[in-house]
Amino acid sequence: MRSILIIEDDPTIQKALSEVMLSEGYKVYTSFEADGGLEKVANNKPDLILLDLILPGKSGFEFLKEIKNSPSTSSIPVVILSNLGDEDEVRQGLKLGAVDFLVKADYDLNEVVKIIKKYFPKK
Amino acid sequence: MSFNLVNLLLLLGIFTAVVVTVFLFEFRKVQVNLLKREKEMNQRMYQLSILRELGERIGYSLKIDQIVEIIAGSLRRLLDYSTVSYILVTPKPDGTRKIEYNINLEKPVNKKFIDDNKKVMLKSLNILLGKDFQVDDLEETISGTITDPTSIESVGSFFNVPIVIGDSPVGLLNISSNQKNRYKKEEVEILYTIMNQASDAVTKLQHVLNVEKGKLNSMVASMADGVLMIDNQKQLSVINTAAKLMLGFSGENVTIFEVLDALATTFDLRNKLQDSMREDRLVISPAVTLNNHFFQILISPVKDKDKNFLGSVVLFHDITKEKEVEKMREDFTNMMVHELRSPLTGIKGIASLLESDRVKQDEKKFSEFVNLIVTNTKDMLGLVNDLLDVAKLESGKFQLIKKATPIRSVIDTRIGSFKALADEGSLELVSHVDEKVPENLEFDEHKISQVLNNFLSNSIKFTNAGGKITICAFLLPRGIDLARTVVEQKLVWPGIKQGISFQDNYLVVAVTDTGEGIPADKIDKLFNKFVQLENTAKSGKKGTGLGLVVSKGVVEAHNGVIGVFSEAGEGTTFYFTLPININK
Repeated sequence: MRSILIIEDDPTIQKALSEVMLSEGYKVYTSFEADGGLEKVANNKPDLILLDLILPGKSGFEFLKEIKNSPSTSSIPVVILSNLGDEDEVRQGLKLGAVDFLVKADYDLNEVVKIIKKYFPKK
Repeated sequence: MSFNLVNLLLLLGIFTAVVVTVFLFEFRKVQVNLLKREKEMNQRMYQLSILRELGERIGYSLKIDQIVEIIAGSLRRLLDYSTVSYILVTPKPDGTRKIEYNINLEKPVNKKFIDDNKKVMLKSLNILLGKDFQVDDLEETISGTITDPTSIESVGSFFNVPIVIGDSPVGLLNISSNQKNRYKKEEVEILYTIMNQASDAVTKLQHVLNVEKGKLNSMVASMADGVLMIDNQKQLSVINTAAKLMLGFSGENVTIFEVLDALATTFDLRNKLQDSMREDRLVISPAVTLNNHFFQILISPVKDKDKNFLGSVVLFHDITKEKEVEKMREDFTNMMVHELRSPLTGIKGIASLLESDRVKQDEKKFSEFVNLIVTNTKDMLGLVNDLLDVAKLESGKFQLIKKATPIRSVIDTRIGSFKALADEGSLELVSHVDEKVPENLEFDEHKISQVLNNFLSNSIKFTNAGGKITICAFLLPRGIDLARTVVEQKLVWPGIKQGISFQDNYLVVAVTDTGEGIPADKIDKLFNKFVQLENTAKSGKKGTGLGLVVSKGVVEAHNGVIGVFSEAGEGTTFYFTLPININK
């Protein structure tokens, strides 16, 4: 079963995202902040990471850097969850190695699923 | 008889001869005196005329070379000479000296004459100044008639007059002639006198200017903006204390090079000075960062009334505060957008899930999701309300509905509504209302409850399990120290400071917790709407952070005071006061 890690500090959004991924048949891990996320990455080796950039404590950027700098995790595709108006952040995120970004308010959950599916590594 | 006549005539003759001789002798003496007087008068006239000329021609100029030039140019009215020359030593900005040698040829002389003149003067100058200048150090200017290689005349006689400004010698004036023993003591002396008078005048003028400059300097020195003045030799002539601080200099003397260095990576002062000078306009730089401050730098050329370029003035205006406010405002807008959108996005996501059959069939999930929507809507409404309140407070449209209200029951009601939340976090929630507190007080019950809600929810949020939260209320009479009253009430407010008292009688209401405390540097910012919202977003704690901003507005609208005491690890007290008239 393919697995996904959702790092999102807003519980409602996290709930909605994890619910829709569960219903699509994915194994879902969640974290409200970056350090917990890193732990989940190390323990569970998810196939894809959905990452919010504004997090309490360590930022999403720092998380992204650490993931991309570690050889064991650098190949995991990371999709950024962003808000409208955060274009600069998105650009920076893509530069740091994220594969794509989703503007939270723009997408229906079903569309989110469609986009995420593209980035799962082919098995 | 004839003998007598002859004798008489002879005697008369002898007498006449003696008288004539004596007369002639006296006449000659008088004539010599007259001639001497006339000569003295001439010299005096010359002195006066040259001083007048100096006065007229130099005006308020203090340029010693101009003054020496005038004296040298007028000498032919006094003396006969072959050459008049002078050497002036002026310090250069880089610490070295400029040594000018200027010779004016009245009569054609050969090169050797000039060389000898140079050597002679240099020798005297070195003795006068105690230096060891060489002929190569001289910057030479030759004027007047042409040199004559065929001339075989050498220096016959000469004399030097030192040029002194203030108390320091700055050079030498030299008169040389091809004739031997040409100059008499008086002629040398008169030149000395003139030189002295001229240097006296310059010294006095310099003094006056220094006094004026001193006034100007002290004005510039006391300015809050940093001020630099750079003269037309590109040297730093003025730097005030503010500018030194801004550029990070602590020493007394600062050079233009140090200034350029200090700005090197941030601001190209050299080029901007040139732009300003060339285009003859005020150059204004955008914000430049220096030692964590933002500066606007203004460069303006300075000219005298004849449009001669005198230098440039550089002004450093600290715009850090403005920048900070600007940034806070931007951050505020960004955060507000984020805070409003997050709950909406959540609602949208969850609502769309409700449509799916999987959730519809799962009753537990369905009600969980409905609850999430309700919570998010409530959060959003809270934020919108806070924002509206802040907007109302800022526009002065915040209105209170004051009526006699029992403060005890208000506090009890608050405790009742927070009991469940406190229990959930294993927190003890108690109240302590002093018996002297009157039954009823005039205030807006709804708004004051809002303030207490805010205090209480903050305390619960930042206090770990096992902690205690106390609401207290007591009277603080006019002029009585708050800290003392707190002790008398047997209360403990961590971090409380002495010396707080008021000009009126107040009711004090406070919420004290045993939580983590607030760092000192954050306390000032608690009531700032811009900072609060930003911190909330970063901390990940629920709530808008605007609650305290609104609370402050509410309390101040009641003519009360809001405040906070805190000590790290010990706890925090938020309090507010409401004015009461005990006699009424």
